[in-house]
Amino acid sequence: MAPTDPLQIMDGILQHVTTASNSVAVEQYLSNLSPKDLRETALASTLSSGQDPLSVLHLTQNTLAVLYILGARLTVNNAQPLPFDLISDFCQQFNPEQARLAPKRVTILARGINRLAASNNNPRSAILPLYNLLRRYAPDLSYLTTIHQYFTLTCLQARHPVAALDILSVPITNIETSLSDLTYNDNLIYHYTGGIALALLRKWAEAEEFFEICVTAPGSYPAALQMEALKKLKLVQLISKGKTSSLPKYTHPLLIRQFKSTPYQSFVNSYPHNVDALQETLHRDRNTFAAEKNVGLLRQAIERAPRWALKKLTATYLSLNLADIGKAVKIDSEDEVRAVLLSMIEEGDISATISADDSVTFSDPPPQFTRAQVDQILRDVQSQSGYLDALEKDMAKSKEYLSKAVKGKDGDGPGGGWVGAPDEDVFGAMGSGSSSGLLGGVGSGVWDEINFA
Amino acid sequence: MDIDIADESHQPQTGFSSTRKAIIAPVDDAHPFDLEGYISNYTGRTAIERLIHIVLTCPSIAPEAYQLAVQHIHQSRDPTLYQTLLTAYEQSSVNSGVSFPSPYDLAQLDMKWTDETTARNQADRTKLEVELKSYTNNMIKESIRMAHRDLGDFYRQLGDYASSLKHYTKSREFCTTSQHVLDMCLSILELLIEQRNYSHLTTYVFKADAALDAARATSAANNNGPAGATGTQQKKKVPDREDVQAKLDFATALSHLGQGNYEKAAHFLLKVGDLKNLGDWISKLVAPGDITIYNTLCALATFPRASIKTKLLESSTFSLYMEQEPYIRELIQAYLNSNFKTVLELLSKYSTRHYVDIHLASHVHDLTNLIRNWAVVLYFQPFATIRLDRMSAAFGWTLEEVEQHVVGLIQSGDIQGRVDSQNKILQAKKTDYRAELFARAIKAGTDIQATNRKLLLRMRLQQAELIIKPPKSSNQGGNSLSEFLNVD
Repeated sequence: MAPTDPLQIMDGILQHVTTASNSVAVEQYLSNLSPKDLRETALASTLSSGQDPLSVLHLTQNTLAVLYILGARLTVNNAQPLPFDLISDFCQQFNPEQARLAPKRVTILARGINRLAASNNNPRSAILPLYNLLRRYAPDLSYLTTIHQYFTLTCLQARHPVAALDILSVPITNIETSLSDLTYNDNLIYHYTGGIALALLRKWAEAEEFFEICVTAPGSYPAALQMEALKKLKLVQLISKGKTSSLPKYTHPLLIRQFKSTPYQSFVNSYPHNVDALQETLHRDRNTFAAEKNVGLLRQAIERAPRWALKKLTATYLSLNLADIGKAVKIDSEDEVRAVLLSMIEEGDISATISADDSVTFSDPPPQFTRAQVDQILRDVQSQSGYLDALEKDMAKSKEYLSKAVKGKDGDGPGGGWVGAPDEDVFGAMGSGSSSGLLGGVGSGVWDEINFA
Repeated sequence: MDIDIADESHQPQTGFSSTRKAIIAPVDDAHPFDLEGYISNYTGRTAIERLIHIVLTCPSIAPEAYQLAVQHIHQSRDPTLYQTLLTAYEQSSVNSGVSFPSPYDLAQLDMKWTDETTARNQADRTKLEVELKSYTNNMIKESIRMAHRDLGDFYRQLGDYASSLKHYTKSREFCTTSQHVLDMCLSILELLIEQRNYSHLTTYVFKADAALDAARATSAANNNGPAGATGTQQKKKVPDREDVQAKLDFATALSHLGQGNYEKAAHFLLKVGDLKNLGDWISKLVAPGDITIYNTLCALATFPRASIKTKLLESSTFSLYMEQEPYIRELIQAYLNSNFKTVLELLSKYSTRHYVDIHLASHVHDLTNLIRNWAVVLYFQPFATIRLDRMSAAFGWTLEEVEQHVVGLIQSGDIQGRVDSQNKILQAKKTDYRAELFARAIKAGTDIQATNRKLLLRMRLQQAELIIKPPKSSNQGGNSLSEFLNVD
């Protein structure tokens, strides 16, 4: 029916796209373009005149068409060469509303940019376009998109994790599948790679949170990536806190069990006092650690081991001399002890003074909070309570909830069907839990249950 | 019914010596110990076993103990004990590195006695087994029970604990009254105590308890029937119950002691009450002085001061016990007067007495540590700061020892304080509660926010059904990504 020469189709497309009245129609036209097998080839070709269609189209007004063409050019073999600058320009100028009509093409574009830069051996060049694409595409940064994982991955490939910081600093709280064709892997990979980037930047607390999100992602079966994230999580905890903390209850039990049989567990067990055993573990399972690329983290953990031993001493002693400290933390040279001590004092890990005769006096000034700090925290907590209240109300009037509540009420006997009572019970409990968030962990438990109910 | 016995039950003594690190307790002027006086408190098998234990732990009096043991063996029916004794004697010589006089010069087993005893044992066994067989054929329940019981007693005398226990438990099937069950349980308890099988004790205490209640219920029922006839019997029953209860409490206490629950052990020992209640168990299994010592050490190690005062020092029943071992009163009083130096000196002076006890030996070290730690904690309580040399004077330790102990206690959280190692001062920790409260509240606030955030994300993921599914859960991302993980 339609012409089979790709060049002619392209002319038709251009014609249609430039004259169509609204972008929804364009999207429908482009996504239903037939024949399907020829679509990509057609989109990747030039006009019959040999002119590049991209030079005719306007990047902002014809965002959808450009998006389709870019995606095709990036995936089809032997397509027209694509100038990188054009991609950059597009990422800067595209019209987000139009782009959101074709989330799949955005994913293809993001993946394409990543691949193209990698094949040019210049992954760093992809950072800025992806950054722009991500920033402009998402309504705000709390939404997870498919672009996220390519962005952090690119930052890691370019060995330039600082670039990702801007994005990583906003925690993901919204998931919208209509915005972006997400899979569970997008979430896992984004948080895993984000965690690595943060660990590279030594932002341990944030890295810990990212790894934890990855490890605790919901699932009926643990993913291999989660296991890797768990290993890194434990190491990051050792580095930043000197000990590991337990995972939330909703972590998949199989992960925890499997972790116990890895050499990492024995490393965690002998941390931080038994430096010899740590070295031995590192040495014995060197191949495993190297294959999993964790040697760097392990080494950092071992390096920091004396600090945790030293920190424990401050709880026991008021003053000690350098040689005694050295003995307790198993460092022979006094100069080394002094160096560790000084760096800890500088970083605010401990408060101590070293006097001329090599004696160290520890002190612990009580934690001080300014009025502004306290106010800030109270404001944060209030806003969070407000947010949770709003969520409750949303859920209470959601169709799914109401239909379930009505169904549950049916069996109760005559006069059933009014959902007021159970409704209030559930949300009364939930509300009190969340608003008392400052005082205890009640809120989290409630959320967990509501979630599964 | 439980009849599984630890493997070494046939020769508990040798098993005992090999699994334990050899404790060597000195006997000299600083550590007085009167062997004759000590062993005269015991009769029967426990005396021999205690002597063997002494041979092992106190090399300096081993030859003497050896001679006594041989004498005792001649009064028993178990010639195999001699072999155990010989092994222990040689072991002790090896452990202490001193060569002892040859055992055969000191005392020898009378060969004639050995042959006679073995023959008699053989004859008795045949007789008892034939009896059992004929009763079984006749199906007379009561006689079968008694035959099993006799066989149990017989094997116990021979030291064959496994067969003994087998027959005792078999007799359970033929018990017709709860009194019989009770008798059986008590026999087994004796057996287990002799065998030092602490973990099994509670099982039979529990069974005996049930039987005791049942026995009382029946006797009460009898009482309601023909009044005059059972009246006299009733009077006999009441003290009986106290006896049994005392024995059960003692067995429970021993089982707790054996498993290191010192507080519970002390608690049950206090319940034992009057010495007379234990009846034939005194000297057959335990001496009154032993109970005093167990009780005091366990109580000092675990009880708060007030209960030590009311439950031990001011208790009329316990003062009878204290007469058994005069130094115990001194020990408790020194403890209550905070003369910790005296306490520790007394503990060390009588450590030999403690180490030779077969039930206590393995716990002396732990108990002494506990008492010492308590003492240090108690001593420091009233002070805000104290010089370590004052503590060293109070405890009779060197400065290093004091520091080491104090540091250990701080690290285990028993003392809220910090050591000034330069000036040798121990300072109590000062806490600014207001600031701490702020810190805690703020930490809780931020933690909750983070948790909520993570949970919300998790909820959103579930709502969007982004859930990891089993089949192809491993993803290629893991491998291609991992090459960037080498953090420098």
